[in-house]
Amino acid sequence: MASPFASSTSLPGLGTIHVALLPPTTPVLQTLSYQYPLKLIAPDPSTLRTDAGAHLVHTVFLLTYGGGLVAGDTIDLRIKLSHPSRLVLLTQGSTKIFKTPTRSLVSGQRLVVDFEPGAALCYLPDPVQPYADSVFEQTQVYNVPGPDSSLCVCDWVSEGRTARGEKWSFYKYTSKNEVWLVPEEGDRKLILRDNVLLDDSGNVAPIAGRIDNLGVFGTLILVGPLFKALGEYFVDEFKRLPRIGNRNWDDTKEVMTDSIEVARARRQKQETKDGLLWTAAHVRGLVLVKFGAREVEGVKQWLSTMIKAEGSIETNFGERALLCLK
Amino acid sequence: MHRSPPPTSTTSNPPTTTSTAALHTLLLLSDSALPLGSFAFSSGLESYLAHHRPPPPQPLNTFLPLSLRSLASTSLPYLRSAHRDPSLLTSLDNDLDASTLCPVARRASTAQGRALLGVWERSLRAHHVGSEDDGSGVKALKAFSAQLRASAGDAYPAAGHFAPVWGVVTRVMGVGEREAGYVFLFAAARAVVSAAVRASVMGPYEAQGVLAGRELGGLIEGLLGEFWDVQVEGAGQSVPAVDLWVGRHEVLYSRIFNS
Repeated sequence: MASPFASSTSLPGLGTIHVALLPPTTPVLQTLSYQYPLKLIAPDPSTLRTDAGAHLVHTVFLLTYGGGLVAGDTIDLRIKLSHPSRLVLLTQGSTKIFKTPTRSLVSGQRLVVDFEPGAALCYLPDPVQPYADSVFEQTQVYNVPGPDSSLCVCDWVSEGRTARGEKWSFYKYTSKNEVWLVPEEGDRKLILRDNVLLDDSGNVAPIAGRIDNLGVFGTLILVGPLFKALGEYFVDEFKRLPRIGNRNWDDTKEVMTDSIEVARARRQKQETKDGLLWTAAHVRGLVLVKFGAREVEGVKQWLSTMIKAEGSIETNFGERALLCLK
Repeated sequence: MHRSPPPTSTTSNPPTTTSTAALHTLLLLSDSALPLGSFAFSSGLESYLAHHRPPPPQPLNTFLPLSLRSLASTSLPYLRSAHRDPSLLTSLDNDLDASTLCPVARRASTAQGRALLGVWERSLRAHHVGSEDDGSGVKALKAFSAQLRASAGDAYPAAGHFAPVWGVVTRVMGVGEREAGYVFLFAAARAVVSAAVRASVMGPYEAQGVLAGRELGGLIEGLLGEFWDVQVEGAGQSVPAVDLWVGRHEVLYSRIFNS
């Protein structure tokens, strides 16, 4: 006999966020649904006033029960952003990936974001923290229709529980970020694929060596008009980094008077102290930043110093967008 | 196919199924005099040395396996895919370009890919033995070459990356796909070792010793085994530090190499 109860259409770990347009110009959080182990929390949207007018910014916290994923957990989140929505995605602490009993039992996270023209996403989460003997696979796909959608995403990972001596001692960690150009007409085109593959099987080289003994590394992707200025700022600051192997033959002590130069010198000194290495470059119309450091704190401090010094994220998305970098 | 080069030690293990024509091509393509400009690139070695002062006693022991591993995981799937189906050349080139996130690495890859295309057009095309049954590789190279010129002003122009062009050229020249992969990695190793000699990390005899060594052969075989069957969608960076070293080559005060 057929069950009298309609079967549930929601699957474990499935989530949907849809920021839709309430005519004429108000973005509203139309859909917010989620299933265990995923949990989504949306505080009230904030209104930001800039010279260009007032903007409503929605915020959603991505949470998981227990602060992470146990082996076999999968999260599958779909986000749709209508024009002219601005969404801030945040986490509450690092995403822990717990030990797996067998290599084949994977913890996974999949995110697909569909942008409409003019929509924007700012996603600056805490890092993923894979524990010893864990397996994690992540794919994040961003479908943008054209040049006026904006995306800022930071994807980063730490070496594990340092207090327990864990140093990149997971079985496997892979994280793939793709940006696709999906025009209304015509074929989709891959604009960017940043795929990190760390697998301890098959080869003798320990994972720590492949990361040059850094404790954390990651990628920052900046796309579209709302992050253009920030992208230029990163590229410009990268060009201004002190040359490696340069010697100062000038024995007169330089006195810096410009406050921007003083701040830059202070930041660069802190970078050296934290063992922070980074590069920034224009890649196929967007800006890509790669970074690594000894500790998570060093990256948080560096990223927030850079972003605040430039200022456009706080202007366009509010201070809350930087919550995970505190 | 024989899978235990380095070539210096193959006298007791002669290639069995390789035809003379294919052997001839292999010698041609693995010659360091092939004008690809590979000598101008250190694949991050120069930057690695600058980031590790004072240098470890045998820097190449650490660097070479990491460099080859990075190249294998990012490029081999594209090489293999282009070798199997040359009609994919344009889309493989686009997707590899989208996956090559560092301008220094992109410069190195496209400079060598375009140079190889030039060598094909000016030197090899007239002499290739026509070992393909359908001529799809020759057609693909011709179309791609035209596209390289025509798309220069596009938002996402054809780039001419090394690995897929290498895959198609070796196919057309009658080199099997696995051999094509082996020579690709071996040539990369030779370029790094040669850069090491010029950067005064090791002497020329020691360098030949590294190239002749069983370790290198085993390393290349291992990487072929690990990444050969990976689909292009799964290609990626398996040595994140390489992105940082190669990217930061731009902030070295003095440089003798282009990467």
